[in-house]
Amino acid sequence: MISRLLGLLPGWLARLAVLTILGFVVMAVFAPLIAPWDPSATDLFRRLQPPAWMPDGGWDYPLGCDALGRDILSRIIYGARVSIFTGIVVVSLATLVGVVAGLAAGYIRGPVDAAISFLVDVLLGFPYLIFAVGLMAMMGPGIANLVLALAYKEWIVPCRVVRGETLAARETEYVEAARALGASSATIMGREILPNILSPVIVVATVRIAQVIILEASLSFLGLGVQPPTPSWGSMVADGRAFILDAWWVSTFPGLAILLLVLAINVASQAVRDALDPHFHD
Amino acid sequence: MKPILLLQRLLHLIPVLFGVTVIVFLMMSLTPGDPAEIMLANQNASPEAVVSLRHDMGLDRTLSARFVSFATNAMVGDFGVSLFHRRPVAAVIAERLPATIELSIAALLLALLVAIPLGVVAAVHRGGVVDRLATVGALFGVSLPGFWFGILLLIGFAVQLRWLPVSGAIDFASQPPHVTGFLIIDSVISLRLDSLANTLAHLLLPAVTLGLPMAAILMRVTRASMLDVLRQDYIVFAEAKGLTRRRILALHALKNALLPTVTVAAIETGSLLGGNMVVETVFGWPGLGRLVVESIFVRNYPLVQAAVLLYAVTYVLVNFLADLLYTVLNPRVRM
Amino acid sequence: MRLKRLVIAAFAAAGLQLAEAQPAELRIGFTLDPLTLDPANHRSRETESVLRTMYNGLVAHDPAMKLVPEVIEGWSWIDPQTMDVKVRQGVTFHSGEPMTADDVVYTFTRILTDGAIGGQTSPRKSLLGPTKSVLRVDAATVRFLLSDPWPVLPAMLTFQEVVSKSFAEKAGAAGMATQENGTGPFKLVQWRRGDSLVLERFPAYFGGAPAIAEAGKACIDRVVIKIIPENASRVAALLAGDVDIVNELPAHDIRSVEANRNTKVMAVNGTRTFFVALNNTRKPFDDVRVRRAANHALNRQLIIDKLLNGRAERLNGVMSPAAFGFNPSLTEYTYDVKTAKALLTEAGYANGIDVTLDADGPQKETAEAIAALLTQAGIRTKVAVGEGSQVRAKWAPTSKREGDMWITSWGNGSLDPTDIFEPTLQTDGRGNSAFYSNTELDGLLAAGRRETDTAKRAALYQQAQAIVNRDAPWIFLWLPQDLYGVSARLTGWAPAASGWLNLRDACVQ
Repeated sequence: MISRLLGLLPGWLARLAVLTILGFVVMAVFAPLIAPWDPSATDLFRRLQPPAWMPDGGWDYPLGCDALGRDILSRIIYGARVSIFTGIVVVSLATLVGVVAGLAAGYIRGPVDAAISFLVDVLLGFPYLIFAVGLMAMMGPGIANLVLALAYKEWIVPCRVVRGETLAARETEYVEAARALGASSATIMGREILPNILSPVIVVATVRIAQVIILEASLSFLGLGVQPPTPSWGSMVADGRAFILDAWWVSTFPGLAILLLVLAINVASQAVRDALDPHFHD
Repeated sequence: MKPILLLQRLLHLIPVLFGVTVIVFLMMSLTPGDPAEIMLANQNASPEAVVSLRHDMGLDRTLSARFVSFATNAMVGDFGVSLFHRRPVAAVIAERLPATIELSIAALLLALLVAIPLGVVAAVHRGGVVDRLATVGALFGVSLPGFWFGILLLIGFAVQLRWLPVSGAIDFASQPPHVTGFLIIDSVISLRLDSLANTLAHLLLPAVTLGLPMAAILMRVTRASMLDVLRQDYIVFAEAKGLTRRRILALHALKNALLPTVTVAAIETGSLLGGNMVVETVFGWPGLGRLVVESIFVRNYPLVQAAVLLYAVTYVLVNFLADLLYTVLNPRVRM
Repeated sequence: MRLKRLVIAAFAAAGLQLAEAQPAELRIGFTLDPLTLDPANHRSRETESVLRTMYNGLVAHDPAMKLVPEVIEGWSWIDPQTMDVKVRQGVTFHSGEPMTADDVVYTFTRILTDGAIGGQTSPRKSLLGPTKSVLRVDAATVRFLLSDPWPVLPAMLTFQEVVSKSFAEKAGAAGMATQENGTGPFKLVQWRRGDSLVLERFPAYFGGAPAIAEAGKACIDRVVIKIIPENASRVAALLAGDVDIVNELPAHDIRSVEANRNTKVMAVNGTRTFFVALNNTRKPFDDVRVRRAANHALNRQLIIDKLLNGRAERLNGVMSPAAFGFNPSLTEYTYDVKTAKALLTEAGYANGIDVTLDADGPQKETAEAIAALLTQAGIRTKVAVGEGSQVRAKWAPTSKREGDMWITSWGNGSLDPTDIFEPTLQTDGRGNSAFYSNTELDGLLAAGRRETDTAKRAALYQQAQAIVNRDAPWIFLWLPQDLYGVSARLTGWAPAASGWLNLRDACVQ
């Protein structure tokens, strides 16, 4: 039955995706309990040790070791924290700001709309990565600044969606009715419009979490982001880049982690979208 | 479409450009780090040398003086001198621009060539094999981190298999005579098949890495809008009239279905320009993206300012073109 | 059908061209694109390396890094503030004009005069130190006038190249940046920005510094310098046979390059001293015992073996073994955790100390390794990675001096102590990030600067090194080798510590 509801994506796939996401979240939350080793424990004698199934590898370090002899599996487990934290915080922040801005722009219109739309247009003119790199250069490295740098452009996405939906919604009967009854703008925006536009907002947000995780990895890859020794999947790929020719595992496994998590989020959000799509059952 | 509205849209560009310039200027000036010091770093230079270099770079003027100077010069096309190359910024950017444009367009074309047919087939034979594969493929496409994927492609195809070159835009021996600066165009104009083949070989991996996420998005958009269109009343009506499915598709459905594809393609072109940087670095592609991020790191203000302005103009113009295309494809839409 | 065959043939031809190289062509995989072709208008080591294939200077280095005259026959000091050079005859520019004393005068005047390069001042002016002006004495002699004695002037002349007066005046600043007209063994055929440079042999080359013997008949007609900034791509290009020389070979790739039948590694002792500056003005490193403890706590050889593949030399001081006045009998701070802990306890830190090690991106890995080793000895170190300019600003002598440790380096391309000792260890030296101050040392350095007797000068510097070794203002680290990967078919080429490409005798069989 679920597979009929979710249509194209077989139910088992969507369930698998959700399980994967939960798995990563659990991994992130309980990292100290799950990780076999301390992610910052360096041991130069284990430098670039291959994964367990290759010669010179060992099952105590199943995915091998990085350039400083740290266990890659443990670093991937801890790295989930950075990715998930960044994804959730950036999108939450952006959605909060974006929804408020979008509502204001779409409902109040006039100079408020003009100002917000102008800001959106200007920010859109900047390529994402370049803007983020510029901001990070301005603010310095670190996860807090990374979150801010990403959020500064991210709020545009929910803002545009919300503005569009609000523009449509303000002409509907229930809003007219509320206005006739003398409700204030704020009440209308909050009580009448907001609940009805939440659905697309949530869908967009879930998709954006996936994209933000990739963006964080890209910025960490460029050297901007978390400070050592905190592991981040993106910086792990970057660190392993120098050894890609003969110690491919250092970059490959963190990259796979990114792929897996992002894929799971995308599959899950696709399933959610398909379920919410009124046309789906035709 | 009324020309007045056209003009209005173009005029809207100006305050946006101004806003972009102000923001870039503010960001650069609030960024700690001094280009003169960076240029002389690790070169055992004396503090006096740094001071005199700063003066030479014009950085000891006040912020507002620099902004006014930049803005007024920019309006006549003079974007100042690159602090590191010590040559006019416009020349430095112009040298690297064709490579980036070629890569972006190649990625865009690749994406469209893959996405549109796949999206159409997937929609028409909904639930079939192609549809399932395409959807899964699309999910992978948007989930792959580009920097990681690019490196893997490089190692696989260029190093292990040696099918494709490792880096650069073209081998010296295969260079076509310089006409436009665009290798593909020059190769075709001078009828040099070997140049064309060599360029395409160099272009393939970076274009695939850059274009894959875009192809994924465009395929889904095309599929969704195609599904939408196929459900429309006028399609059903045409079917009832007895037109063959093929003709229906070709005449009515496709044109309308492509509208969202065009719009999204325009928006995503913006991300193409920004995504260039990582791909250009991994594949050693001599383009602008890599230059811009390097310039941010060394605080080469004039170049960053000019490049960002260029990106903004390109983005707005491309969106504008997309809107134009929109009206051409669907005359029912009023501007 | 015919068209199909044509297409296949074209692709096949292209494929062949992808794989083969012309026999008389040398291909180099180089890290960075030159910023400009104007030798006077940049401050980039890579740009200088590339330009030195097309331009000559008054002096050059021989393979042993000894100073030899190039387009001059020699130099002589008239007095400590006046030096004459004798211009060599028979040197020609690529355009065909002969090089004269006027070109030499013009080259240096252009560098020394403010605003002489299209309104810009040459950023290489400071490399000429107290040079006031350069004059023509006669058709074969040029005179350098200094405002202060400066015995290292000849060594510093290696950083400048001679340009043609008539060409520079005609081309202007813009032309000089994108065209070349040097006297060097190769001339520029094409420059594809960010992608590659193509050079061709200059048949009328005067031969180069006579002191550098020619290895045989020149066999390379063409040089293609491909710009491949990405390390893995550059090494991959070497391993695939796409290039014959790569510079900046990462230490880690030594194994694959040696293992490959067609490639090998070539190395030369670098000129850049690496060290960890300790803040001598603040706790805990204001105490010499703690500083010595830090030196004992670090297993430098392990890091060299593991991270640098053994390609570095341990240092007990600031100077390179190849530099003038090197003191070979400095005491080594052996790796001894027990002694380190004992010293810490003696200084009052029985429970160890907590400190931060600042580093910029490229040093991140080394910094983390050092931090891990120090932590084992009770010096609990956290690494803070920042952008180069921000970290440098934090550690400038004019800063608030709030850091604990900074891993950094200082280059000594001239291999003369004044270039490294003074800036890094003299009181208030511009590179003195340890904020170290020792008046006895200052006296020795000042005396060494002026001493003309070579033996006496060397002795002064050796004494100075002993003082520094005793005071341990830094954690002494190492001097890494510069690593190059080359094709096994390459002959007549050896890397130079200066980073120059020295292609005159190179040959690919």
